[in-house]
Amino acid sequence: MLGAWKIFTTDIKMSYFADAYADMIMADGITLLCSDILVDHQDIVMLVLSWHMKAATMCEFSKQEFIGGLQSLGVDSIEKLREKIPFMRSELKDDQKFREIYNFAFGWAKEKGQKSLALDTAIGMWQLLFAEKHWPLVDHWCQFLQARHNKAISRDTWSQLLEFAKTVDPQLSNYDVDGAWPYLIDEFVEYLIENGIIQKGQLSDWTQKH
Amino acid sequence: MVLHKFGEKLYSGLVGTMTLHLQEMAKTIEAAQGNLFLEELNRKWNDHNKALQMIRDILMYMDRTFIPSNRKTPVHELGLNLWRDNVIHSSKIQTRLLDTLLELIQKERTGEIINRGLMRNIIKMLMDLGSSVYQEDFEKHFLEVSADFYRAESQDFIECCDCGDYLKKAERRLNEEIERVSLYLDSKSETKITNVVEKEMIASHMLRLVHMDNSGLVNMLIDDKYEDLGRMYNLFRRVPNGLPTIRDVMTSHLRETGKQLVTDAEKLKDPVEFVQCLLNEKDKYDKIINLAFSNDKTFQNALNSSFEYFINLNPRSPEFISLFVDEKLRKGLKGVSEEDVETILDKVMMLFRYLQEKDVFEKYYKQHLAKRLLSGKTVSDDAERSLIVKLKTECGYQFTSKLEGMFTDMKTSQDTMQGFYAAYAAELGDSPTLVVQVLTTGSWPTQPSITCNLPAEMSALCEKFRSYYLGTHTGRRLSWQTNMGTADLKAIFGKGQKHELNVSTYQMCVLMLFNSADRLSYKEIEQATEIPSSDLRRCLQSLACVKGKNVLRKEPMSKDIGEEDAFFVNDKFASKFYKVKIGTVVAQKESEPEKQETRQRVEEDRKPQIEAAIVRIMKSRRVLDHNNIIAEVTKQLQSRFLANPGEIKKRIESLIERDFLERDSSDRRLYRYLA
Repeated sequence: MLGAWKIFTTDIKMSYFADAYADMIMADGITLLCSDILVDHQDIVMLVLSWHMKAATMCEFSKQEFIGGLQSLGVDSIEKLREKIPFMRSELKDDQKFREIYNFAFGWAKEKGQKSLALDTAIGMWQLLFAEKHWPLVDHWCQFLQARHNKAISRDTWSQLLEFAKTVDPQLSNYDVDGAWPYLIDEFVEYLIENGIIQKGQLSDWTQKH
Repeated sequence: MVLHKFGEKLYSGLVGTMTLHLQEMAKTIEAAQGNLFLEELNRKWNDHNKALQMIRDILMYMDRTFIPSNRKTPVHELGLNLWRDNVIHSSKIQTRLLDTLLELIQKERTGEIINRGLMRNIIKMLMDLGSSVYQEDFEKHFLEVSADFYRAESQDFIECCDCGDYLKKAERRLNEEIERVSLYLDSKSETKITNVVEKEMIASHMLRLVHMDNSGLVNMLIDDKYEDLGRMYNLFRRVPNGLPTIRDVMTSHLRETGKQLVTDAEKLKDPVEFVQCLLNEKDKYDKIINLAFSNDKTFQNALNSSFEYFINLNPRSPEFISLFVDEKLRKGLKGVSEEDVETILDKVMMLFRYLQEKDVFEKYYKQHLAKRLLSGKTVSDDAERSLIVKLKTECGYQFTSKLEGMFTDMKTSQDTMQGFYAAYAAELGDSPTLVVQVLTTGSWPTQPSITCNLPAEMSALCEKFRSYYLGTHTGRRLSWQTNMGTADLKAIFGKGQKHELNVSTYQMCVLMLFNSADRLSYKEIEQATEIPSSDLRRCLQSLACVKGKNVLRKEPMSKDIGEEDAFFVNDKFASKFYKVKIGTVVAQKESEPEKQETRQRVEEDRKPQIEAAIVRIMKSRRVLDHNNIIAEVTKQLQSRFLANPGEIKKRIESLIERDFLERDSSDRRLYRYLA
């Protein structure tokens, strides 16, 4: 194994690493990496790759993360990594893995030292993620946030939104106002009804008693 | 004969003879005409009884030996049985007897006089023949006929009487039946016949009675018809579901009128009147429940829950109740005896108990109390303290500690002033008298600290006080709240009229400027005093534009203050009083923006309380699901306010974000406490 490592590390283009942070792959290095493995840097598969690498922050890998990630993917060359891309894409179809990737994305995308995720980033991430998951309300959700909330998103809201998208049907017929959803989601439901996007009659009696 | 073993012969001879005799008797009774029938029956019955007694005496030996050993019916009983079978149950008598009895009762019900003695004897006879005879031959039919009678009668009554009259009639009928039982029926019949009357006259018509147009329960309540209501209560109490029927109608009526009361735009204009109306309503119903509903607990509870319901429909109720107290404690209680004061305060406390948002009341109460204390306007210190004690018993120490702090400050300030004048008496000479009230920050409602320029003689004095105070209390800071003070000024006007003017500190600052000037423009006054412009306008308005109090003259003459206006001392000022109090135009009720601000402060204050409650609960429960935590928090806080579930949720989320709680990883509705 150690032998293989040596071969591999020499194989890595040292040019991925920025000069100033010799141990880090920064934006330029990532662009280079993307062109080598033939994916767009905004492709969701980059998130999956970051998840495998347990990357702490978006748009950068430490050497340790990068190598650890390749090791756990069982690849030792850029060609092999390129061949892994279809596999990584398929991982998004796995519900359990998708949830992990989704929850990983929060910590990965937020600014260092912040507790919550900036709204713009969050919206970008949701659009990327829910394009995979096909949640019909995602655009309304993003519009709602921009119109009514305009603040950062907490981790709890982030993770509960996936549960909401998975368990509550898009007509909200099984939505329960006492269902311990974060208040932002409750307000979203109100917003949908107010704006006539969801007809009130379609909601179960739960909601109407309030 | 028994001794000679002829017992059997004797016994059967007795039966045979008696049967024959009784059949004879039955014939004579049958022959009796009309009214005489009962009398004849009664006479024969008496005869038979006497005869029977004699026969029993004569045959006593047989009765004691032969009969028990041969298991025969004893003589007396035998006599009664034979009478029953041969007379009462004889085909020509049985139905006639029943019909006659029922007819007589019917006659009595329609107001005729009947021979009650005879009735009693006949009924007694039926009872003597055994309770089954009484029940089968009379009572059963009596109850049936009565039910028919009352069913028909109640139908007539309900068509033509109003509710009150109907109830009177029903009550009379009920009493008549009870009397009838005591006069000539078996006492066991009482509950049976009253049940019949209750069922036919009350239970069947309950809803119709209660809702009767123009005279039903609601009208009785409106018109305080204690007697009718009492009668309804007593009658309805006798039937199943009777009282709940009354209670439900009362509750819905009360809620409806209460709702109208608290949302009536006219009433909202005058908070004192508003609260007085609530108190009147409460008194009215207390009296009804006391006089008509025998202080029934369930009715009292219904009253309380109704009040709680509608008082809280109006979000301004807490403010208005506090204003009511304010009004009473400022002037309303002058010359009122101590007990009456207590009564009024107790009533206010009762309304307070209905409030869901007690913290809002507390906020307003604090503001109003502060104004009363600082302006020295409170009528009675005892009444003030008494109310605080009541609030304390109701809501605990935490609720009133700040209010008590305000009283302490007032008292301490008095001592401080005494100390100050004792120390500086010589030095101060005849300079103005300064009274300072030192208020602890936190105990009093927060005030924007805006200072203005005090007149030179005043500010010198203030400085002296400052150095005195800080000399005795090191480490403290003093800031002047010139917006809250008052001053008494001695003034001499043009023609030598002397007056003492009672003014606010701002007004004093303005007036003192005229000691050294005859004419001042608005701008000049504003520059010299640095009073915030909105306050300055109000203050000039009250000095120059209020008739009878216009110690200043303004050019041009107009109602409003303009930036270009000029002011002069009004030399023609006249007032029949030596002391003139110049008020500032202050809004008593809060204006819309002020209201919003108070509301916001209340909401802000609630957040830490909700969080504290969540943490307390989670600390002891460790893991709890969403609905339970909402319920428990609401319960813990309800003595102070009704926590909004949405707000609780936000607090939970905030605690999750700050790592006090987390959601359970498998059941998202469970929260865990993170130590």
